[in-house]
Amino acid sequence: MHGIVKNYGAVRANRGVDLIVAEGRVVGLLGENGSGKSTLMKVLFGMIRPDSGRVVFAGRVLTDHTPRMAIAAGIGMIHQHFTLVDAMTVTENVMLGWNEAGGFLKPDRIARKIEEASRNYGLAVNPGDVVANLSFGQRQRVEIVKAILRGSKLLILDEPTSNLSPPEVAGLLGVIRRLKEQGHSVVFISHKLPEVMEICDEVVVLRDGAVAGHVQIADATQESLARMMVERDLSAPVLRKNHTPGAVVLTVEGLSRCDGPAGQQLHDITFTVRAGEILAVAGVDGNGQRELLDCLAGITAVKAGRIRLDGADITRKNVRQRLELGLAFIPVDRASTSLVPGFTIADNLAMRDIDRPPLATGPFLNATAVRQMARTRMAACDIRASNPDVPASSLSGGNQQKIVIAREIGRQPKVLLAFQPTWGLDPGAARFVIDQILLLRDAGAAVLYVSSELGEVLTLGDQIAVMSGGRLSSPAPRGTVDVTRIGMLMAGAA
Amino acid sequence: MLLPDSAVQSRRVAEPYAAWNVRVRHHIGNSAGMQSALRAIVAVLLAFLVTSIPILMSGKSPLIAYWSLVNGAFGSLDHIAFALNKSTPYILIAVGIALCFRAGIINIGGEGQVAAGALAASWVALNAIGPPFLVMILALASGVAAGAIWAGLAAAIRLARGVHEVLSTLLLNFVGVLVVSAALNGAMGEQGSGFPQSPMFDDRVCLPKLLAGSDLHVGLVIALIVAVIAQILLWRTRFGFRLRLLGGSRSAADYAGVSFASTVMAVMLLSGGLAGLAGATEVLGVHYRLIEGFSQGFGFTAVAVALLGAADPLAVVPAALFFGFLQAGALAMQREVGVPSSLVFVIQGLSIVFALSAMALDRGRRRV
Repeated sequence: MHGIVKNYGAVRANRGVDLIVAEGRVVGLLGENGSGKSTLMKVLFGMIRPDSGRVVFAGRVLTDHTPRMAIAAGIGMIHQHFTLVDAMTVTENVMLGWNEAGGFLKPDRIARKIEEASRNYGLAVNPGDVVANLSFGQRQRVEIVKAILRGSKLLILDEPTSNLSPPEVAGLLGVIRRLKEQGHSVVFISHKLPEVMEICDEVVVLRDGAVAGHVQIADATQESLARMMVERDLSAPVLRKNHTPGAVVLTVEGLSRCDGPAGQQLHDITFTVRAGEILAVAGVDGNGQRELLDCLAGITAVKAGRIRLDGADITRKNVRQRLELGLAFIPVDRASTSLVPGFTIADNLAMRDIDRPPLATGPFLNATAVRQMARTRMAACDIRASNPDVPASSLSGGNQQKIVIAREIGRQPKVLLAFQPTWGLDPGAARFVIDQILLLRDAGAAVLYVSSELGEVLTLGDQIAVMSGGRLSSPAPRGTVDVTRIGMLMAGAA
Repeated sequence: MLLPDSAVQSRRVAEPYAAWNVRVRHHIGNSAGMQSALRAIVAVLLAFLVTSIPILMSGKSPLIAYWSLVNGAFGSLDHIAFALNKSTPYILIAVGIALCFRAGIINIGGEGQVAAGALAASWVALNAIGPPFLVMILALASGVAAGAIWAGLAAAIRLARGVHEVLSTLLLNFVGVLVVSAALNGAMGEQGSGFPQSPMFDDRVCLPKLLAGSDLHVGLVIALIVAVIAQILLWRTRFGFRLRLLGGSRSAADYAGVSFASTVMAVMLLSGGLAGLAGATEVLGVHYRLIEGFSQGFGFTAVAVALLGAADPLAVVPAALFFGFLQAGALAMQREVGVPSSLVFVIQGLSIVFALSAMALDRGRRRV
């Protein structure tokens, strides 16, 4: 790719980006959210047209190509959100939209091809499985099989590890190595420096739509890459004030939820969080974290067990009553739960507060107060937008999360439930989120911080616990934590 | 004082009490409302253009045909009154359907709700005893109640049994319309008329005229007030916010503590009540009796009106007027030029197709 330029209105998403991927190389593409990575890849895959610049693939110039033409040329893209039909089997998903599957479908032949590719690349994909029953990591492999069978020589992996558990990540990196051995090239987009260091041969760093650096991995260190990305030193440790916990604010006793599939059950969860304390919960995704937080926030009804906030029993209270009592919640899903993309910033900021003064005036909404609150919260969290009437969907991921942070923390809650609040954020935005949560803790709030990023849990937690198979280990103070033991707990081995 | 767009915006941020003209201009210049209005106008023009092809093929001049259409709709005070009366039920029903759309609920049960409302209003108008004005108010109110109950039934089936509201509302249409027929062929029918219709109502319980000497009844004023109130409800109240939140994302609504069941029930009751009111004003203001098949598909046409008005209660008004005047002019076109009046349904249909295509086109462009 030579001199790619793409402007969205006044925003210069790409300004003269060069990217060269040689055969059999794994090229890491690093950059903060909004640095132009996605735009560059969309240009490559033919999803958008560049304003200028050339895409040359295997000696052929691609102009005005569509994704279909890109696939035909040998480019495959694995999106963050998969393009699989849940109700269909792996074989059916592979055949879907594939001309070579023929007019008359021959599922057995395709299934054999899938098995063959699966063996060659160590994918462990079973053609007869129904996609709905597969884990996130397995679905990703189905996508990879799809791309390989369609003849992709170049695979674009867009943040492929953001939803994977550590063993799944290791597996994926193994697959990438096999791809490389077979002569495939890979563009690996990620925020996670250790993975990039481990798998990539070279790294291209984007900043503000331009190439900020292009280094061979042998010449790079995590610190140097991080610096190139954000042009500031991120290795500075998170500052934490001395820990002076107060009274117990949140008490959970014997919380259980035994219906539903195994990954959604909760078994006898008991813990307390004190004022001015962060209880950080590690654990691989899909071990009941979402269900625990939904129960605590009041979104799912509690079947067994008790939840007390500041002494008051809130087990039977609904979302609004819990909000009123000072319970804030940052869910993981920005795309449709913590934000409504089509809503304006002001509406998103008001979303959970419309039933209380000052936003509520009887049955009416106080428009002045809504705008006032929007302006205060936008300023407090430095949400970059021209005005509060802009739809949230037009903002970058970091600015979107700032809306959620501004709303939940701006309410000055007694208890904050945070579920992977740094998910998909660039290091700068993630740091902002963490700093805000630490400030809230220092101001005397109790925080339950649930994340699958072990590093975050170890940095943030005053007390640390692990969730596995719907059970919570008993929290231990950060000083006494043994990382090996946490690893064992996460793997369900302790 | 002409400000560039950005200046207007920044001023609006800095100054919450900007002069009304600044705010209006901001709203018009900036809002999706203006865009969808333009889209609707272009769609309508395209529909006329395409419909001239069959007119040409039948050897008539589209210009003359459309002129007689316009003339038939606007030609005299009587014609205008007729067209406004035709538009009234469309406004009422489409405002309710637009609110449902905003909450992500598809109510295509307007037809049955209109029937239920008209039936209840007619029964009250025929049977209630008391001061005529009070009887009229009671008839309107019972129309609202019956329409709301009919829609509430569909909502209850949706919420309790998980039957999609498209099915539950659609199927109750047939029940509603047939219940009217059954009543008119039975106890409520006029003896010896030979046609399934009720006896005439007492003149004094019918809706008063807006203009003396014309057929225009006060239903239009009620409909306009309803549209304004609905606009305020949608954009200025907590209930409206909840509707929009639910329409924006179900899981965000759960997260914000908005109850799906009570919100769906409320908006369906509201929508059904408005459709019932439309049925009541139709029998009390136009026909002075309940006639089988009086509603001519109001409930379905209103879905199209709500779509053309981009599910915006105020924008529904011009969309409803367009449909009303179009249908009012259709007969004149047929009479004077010999172009079949059913061609206006082609124009209506094409307008919707073009308007929806333009919306989809717009969305496609934004996604890139």
